[in-house]
Amino acid sequence: MNEDLDKQLRQALRPVDPGEDFTARVLAQISAKPRSLRTHWRRAAWIPAALAASVLLVVAGVYEWQQRQKEAGLAARAQVVEALRVTSQKLDLAYRLINTSSRPPSDRDSGA
Amino acid sequence: MPDELLAAARAGESDGFAALVRLHQARVFSIALRMLTDRALAEDLAQEVFLQLHHSIRSLDSHQHLVFWLRQVTTRRAIDRLRREHRSETISLDESLGLVAAESDADPLLRQHLQSLIGKLAPMPRAILLLRYQEDLDPLDIAQTLAVPVNTVKSHLKRSLAALRTQLSGLAPIDESGEA
Repeated sequence: MNEDLDKQLRQALRPVDPGEDFTARVLAQISAKPRSLRTHWRRAAWIPAALAASVLLVVAGVYEWQQRQKEAGLAARAQVVEALRVTSQKLDLAYRLINTSSRPPSDRDSGA
Repeated sequence: MPDELLAAARAGESDGFAALVRLHQARVFSIALRMLTDRALAEDLAQEVFLQLHHSIRSLDSHQHLVFWLRQVTTRRAIDRLRREHRSETISLDESLGLVAAESDADPLLRQHLQSLIGKLAPMPRAILLLRYQEDLDPLDIAQTLAVPVNTVKSHLKRSLAALRTQLSGLAPIDESGEA
């Protein structure tokens, strides 16, 4: 009984060939694989390039924004300085007018 | 001769690798087919095994090593797939006709019945039975191939054979579903 089952199993489990074109299909897949890998790497090479370009754009944007801020600050400072200068002139003029109007009449003015 | 083919394949010669595929395709495909019980899935798995072989060919130093590698990778991949997909379908009569070796002189109905019963075994005992009776390995070699203790192999073999014997005598349904 044991020997019979062993024999029957060996006969039932004899190797089966997958067909004549199996080897060709395997080789076709192998030759297709490097191409797809190259395509993958070509595609993957865009990722760091795109990242670098994005970083450059951000850095340029930040630099431009800082420059504009700096220029705006300088313009504001110039305006403040100009305003102070004008105010100073006005104050000076006002001071002189006050001084002139409150000065006592001179000897010549009194007719002595 | 097989060692020369391996050396040629290792040197990157596609003819050498093609000859190796032709030499071992029946072995790999048969293990995959009887594990997965589906011709299309078995072809896919066998192709994956040979693609992996092409990738790993330089790590194999002898033809004996190559055969061990092919058995190991094919059975492990098949077991993994069966466990992942919980496939436990029986081989239908029509499908099983494709599994029968043409030159076999045994009773065709008995062969189909046996294949159907083997298809009902759980993945690990099924792989052990295939390595024992298709690949003619002894329990120690099977244990090394599947990385399981030799006693586990012996116990699965004993239980599977008992279950098949019972089923063939028409006494009870097959029940060898133990996992290693």
